Amino acid sequence: MLDLVIRNGLIVDGSGLPGRHGDVAIKAGKVVAVGGRAGDASRVIDATGKVVAPGFIDPHTHYDAQLCFDPYAFPAIEHGVTTVVPGNCSLSLAPLRIDQRDSFSRMFRLIEEMPEAAFDAGVDWRWGEGFGNWLDALAENIALNVAPLVGHSVLRMYVMGPEAQARAATADEIRAMADVLRTCLDAGAVGLSTSFVDIDETYRPVPSRWAAPAELDALSAVLGERDAILQIVHEFYDTELTIARIEQLADLSLRHGITTTLSPLFHSDANHKGVSRVMGAVEAARARGAAVWPQVQTRPIDISFTLDQRSLMLLTMPSWWKVASIRDHADKVAAVADARDALVAEMNSLAQRPNGGLGAGGFVVRDVVHQRNNDLIGRNIDDIARERGTSHGDTLVDLALDEDLGTWFIRANIGHNNSPVVGDLLAHPYVHVGASDGGAHVGSFSTFGDTGYLFSEFVRGTKSLSLEAAVKKITLDPATIWGLKGRGLLAVGNAADVVVFDAEHIGRGPEIASDDFPGDGVRWIRRQEGVDTVVVNGEVTWSAEGGYAPAARAGEIATRS
Amino acid sequence: MQPLGLRSTFMTERQYVFPQGDDDLASIAARELPDVVDAHQQLRSWNLHLAARRTVGLLPSDIVFIEPPPAR
Repeated sequence: MLDLVIRNGLIVDGSGLPGRHGDVAIKAGKVVAVGGRAGDASRVIDATGKVVAPGFIDPHTHYDAQLCFDPYAFPAIEHGVTTVVPGNCSLSLAPLRIDQRDSFSRMFRLIEEMPEAAFDAGVDWRWGEGFGNWLDALAENIALNVAPLVGHSVLRMYVMGPEAQARAATADEIRAMADVLRTCLDAGAVGLSTSFVDIDETYRPVPSRWAAPAELDALSAVLGERDAILQIVHEFYDTELTIARIEQLADLSLRHGITTTLSPLFHSDANHKGVSRVMGAVEAARARGAAVWPQVQTRPIDISFTLDQRSLMLLTMPSWWKVASIRDHADKVAAVADARDALVAEMNSLAQRPNGGLGAGGFVVRDVVHQRNNDLIGRNIDDIARERGTSHGDTLVDLALDEDLGTWFIRANIGHNNSPVVGDLLAHPYVHVGASDGGAHVGSFSTFGDTGYLFSEFVRGTKSLSLEAAVKKITLDPATIWGLKGRGLLAVGNAADVVVFDAEHIGRGPEIASDDFPGDGVRWIRRQEGVDTVVVNGEVTWSAEGGYAPAARAGEIATRS
Repeated sequence: MQPLGLRSTFMTERQYVFPQGDDDLASIAARELPDVVDAHQQLRSWNLHLAARRTVGLLPSDIVFIEPPPAR
């Protein structure tokens, strides 16, 4: 008797080959038959008219904190995601010494835009310090698979203490980091992540940026020993620097036989040639035999914000950033009033920038506190300013103060929104679909639903990819790039990570506010559209009919091949 | 294996180096561009991402371009 049979679906197995109708049979968490007619099972799911595919793999996430209090990484699973990679961009929860938790937490909360209350309430540090201990604690209570990275900044902190953020490492320290990295990889890490761009809450570059090339070279040698991957976040806003980093990664890939990936790569109409040049550099690296994978997200860039909290949107405006960083709300409101002239000037300056600023479209009022302001919802600040005869900055400050800083604004379609071009980029054989940032930037945008959007926008919409090619992009491709053993392909003997969905209706759903995180505050999420059933290691973990299975905890630490 | 050099061996686009020791743009200019007039200012103009930095000096991981951007 089989445990589960998914009957009569269109099996799109992740290989990219044409789908075929038949059954998928599962026993003891593994796929035991693909195609044909399977025998009896304890549970049967009728997939007639639906696609049956491997579970989706999300290679760029920051679920590190969320997984401590939410084993489902809600709502990732209902979108079909069965494996996630946390620990990107140089930040992982381990290895970390007890006395470094505060400084790390400040860094993580700022860079990944995780609310302080949620982080502090949800991360209990029950595992102690070691990476293996963290994985053991995680494995006890996860409903999806986790393929974790070791953060380079954290590795430096662990070995160098406060000096990690002040200088290059000595030869002895590099050897010590290599030893610790080796231990982490042996415990189950799939690779190392590093950052060339991030800053902490005091504007100081994160520890990984203080590493000399010889340090990254030595750590990459360890990755080569263990067949592990190197992930970087590069200077993605600058074409020249991006190309230089691709060349650096190519060097490391060729020297140590490692796979490397950089994220994110965005397209904008203002920098179309730049993206073409970046892909030219990737192709040149590949021609030399180097494995360099740029990660491209599917969704356009939208950022929502209030003036009551630090936001990506305020990062380039020092006066706004300073005010938003004030913790006491009353003090913050008072500071907005006191610093009004400087705040207005900065905002007006931003509004006048031709690219990367507000430009046409500008900020739009997304939601209001007071009913009397309801008629402003959906309106552009520029339009309201013209109507009121005030400047852009004055209008925005007036409205925010009127609502005790609670007004939500959105800047939509900042870039990466030319779907035919983005579709071509996603379909490029050397592009790795990813960079969702799942679990991060929770107050700025939803990181959920990118997989559904791949199908709705780029399979059904622009037709940039076939159904089979799109499935491969988020299943077998990431499993191969990341070396995830026995995943990403519906084949006998592989893990039974399966998603059943309606190819005509799968999408990302509308972005909605949710207050489900511990502590106060709002995050943006999207609920699934068109997904029917999600199976993790043979266990039905979510279904449209039954929702989340409350006891489902079949997630595993995904190991490398 | 040879030790990693302080410049990419895989140049397809534009030459760059990484800082050494207590380098600043002036010392890199003197070392890398000894025959260039006003090399420090040239280097600043080719590396605006570094010239505009306020909080710290050069970082060991910084990319420093030692030739101008390509004509586009």
